Amino acid sequence: MTTSSDLIQSNRTCAPWFPTRADWQQKGRLRLSSDVLELVVHALRRAVVTMVARQGQGYVQQGLGAADIFASLYFHEMFIDPQSPASPIRDRFLLSTAHNSALFHATLALRGMIDSNLLDDYVKDGSTLEINVSERLGPVVEGTFGSLGQGPSVACGLAVSDRIKGRENRTYLVLGDGELQEGQVWEAAMFAGSEKLSNMCIVLDLNWLQVEGHSDSVLRMNPISDKWRAFGWNVIDIDGNHIGSILNALQSARKHTAAPTLIVASTKPGNGAKILENVFSHNAKLSQETATTALLQLGEYKW
Amino acid sequence: MVKTTTEQKNLLVNDFTQGGAHTTHQVVVPRYYGDTLLSLAHENENIVCLSADLTSPTETDIFRDTFPKRFINVGIAEANMVGIAGGLARGGMQPWLHTFCSFATRRCYDQVAMQIAYPKLNAKVVGFLPGLSTILGVTHQAIDDIALMRAIPNMTIIEPSGPAQVPAAVRAAAEHNGPVYLRLIRAAFAKTQSTEWEPMTIGRAEQLRKGTDFVLFASGITVSLALQAADLLEAQDFSVSVVNIPSVKPLDNQFIEKNSACHRLVVTIENHSIIGGLGSAVAECLAELDTAAPLLRIGVRDVFSQGASQPYLLDQHGLTPQAIADAIIKRTQP
Repeated sequence: MTTSSDLIQSNRTCAPWFPTRADWQQKGRLRLSSDVLELVVHALRRAVVTMVARQGQGYVQQGLGAADIFASLYFHEMFIDPQSPASPIRDRFLLSTAHNSALFHATLALRGMIDSNLLDDYVKDGSTLEINVSERLGPVVEGTFGSLGQGPSVACGLAVSDRIKGRENRTYLVLGDGELQEGQVWEAAMFAGSEKLSNMCIVLDLNWLQVEGHSDSVLRMNPISDKWRAFGWNVIDIDGNHIGSILNALQSARKHTAAPTLIVASTKPGNGAKILENVFSHNAKLSQETATTALLQLGEYKW
Repeated sequence: MVKTTTEQKNLLVNDFTQGGAHTTHQVVVPRYYGDTLLSLAHENENIVCLSADLTSPTETDIFRDTFPKRFINVGIAEANMVGIAGGLARGGMQPWLHTFCSFATRRCYDQVAMQIAYPKLNAKVVGFLPGLSTILGVTHQAIDDIALMRAIPNMTIIEPSGPAQVPAAVRAAAEHNGPVYLRLIRAAFAKTQSTEWEPMTIGRAEQLRKGTDFVLFASGITVSLALQAADLLEAQDFSVSVVNIPSVKPLDNQFIEKNSACHRLVVTIENHSIIGGLGSAVAECLAELDTAAPLLRIGVRDVFSQGASQPYLLDQHGLTPQAIADAIIKRTQP
């Protein structure tokens, strides 16, 4: 098993299709501006299309939709030490929607937390970059959540551990809207609200995608925000594809000390590539031809 | 808050699994588990205690009152409790989570597997009301908990034979750096002054009595049943070995191998279904040997039970010393 420290120490040459920047791999809260974050988002979207196209099918829609959220968390908000991913002062990140793996792995590579060459092995047999993200990859993955609905409980535990120890770390979790159908999410919501765990923040990736199609056609979930408010949460509704709104919401969450924060981030499946936008498919087909069009629509790297 | 009178306060029950129809005994028995966990918590400030609305019935009220900041009552939400324990362990704590055996296993199986066992976290799942020990009925009778936990990779299962072994079992769980399922029963009686505290080692069987005809493997409350059955059998001139298995996983395969060939019959006696528990574990071990004595599994025979007192239930399921002795003699008759 390859450990994360092996990855860090290995020669960090870039996959040729995946240019990286040293200034995006620094230790700390990067606090990149909205303009620069747009470049990050663009790079992540290109990576998602490239990685998924190699299998001809996969989680491309979610990856394109949530790229703004991941860019904002990893390249602006969270304290990260790429050389020491288990650093005790890091902010913690859990991906409850573990299948949004192309985006997540690309984010780790761009942030310098894994070797970007590993992206070439994504989903290949034997690779630690599994289609449902596994902590087999090392401490850069803080939990294994392919079984949906379990992330919020673990986030609660991390937040409580920080509170008991008097640590300043914050815990962030990206939750899928389909996961709201799991009862355990509401157990955790009730607990965090009751315990006023203001050191945790959930970003709900509201893309209305689930296996059987548009979430509302599977099970009515609205009103979502009011449900969380009733459970004692600070709820912020935003356009999850607008960087400025995400940054404002994250800042507001950090300042809110009376309750945990839920950022309801409405995202557009396939965002950024016209040919894929608003195709509501949990697992979407992505032929080389479609991918080529999508990459053209996304445009070349801008740095 | 609603005001209550002193008279009304006298009606309150703190620990609902003690007293009333729940127990045939009304004496106050020391909390061997709760006391041991408390002393461990004094030694290790990373120990945190979780309860799912069953604090007194899991003897953790003394922990709650001593270390309120390290005690978390999650409410009636076992799946969430397991996930929180996973998060606490990832945050450097050593969580001990408490509920009844059936809710610690059946109720939150996927969570235990994915959030504790897969990442090999240092979390201790502590269950009370094992097997047929409770009046509370099928919902609360864990007849399959060992089967479930045994099937999960990385899981260690510990069940002490009685009050005298509880402290050693709890300490063994604490010292094992990884997931543990601790299967406990409230003591029905206090350990006498003359009874020695019993040690235990994970993965090691304990020979309590040495004989030549039958070898009886037991764990938890069936250890004392096995010893009593051995008395009855020896009165009929049989020579009987009795072995306590305090950890069914890892199982002491070496011991079982060594002892299976030198007896006429191997017997397993468990407060659990004969599917997936001690009987199955021993059967799996014997099946891979070239020479082994025949096997008799005594336990719950693949049926759901019902709510009733423990003596009644054990009698119904052939788990009395006499029924055990009779079953062994019957099995050895041509």
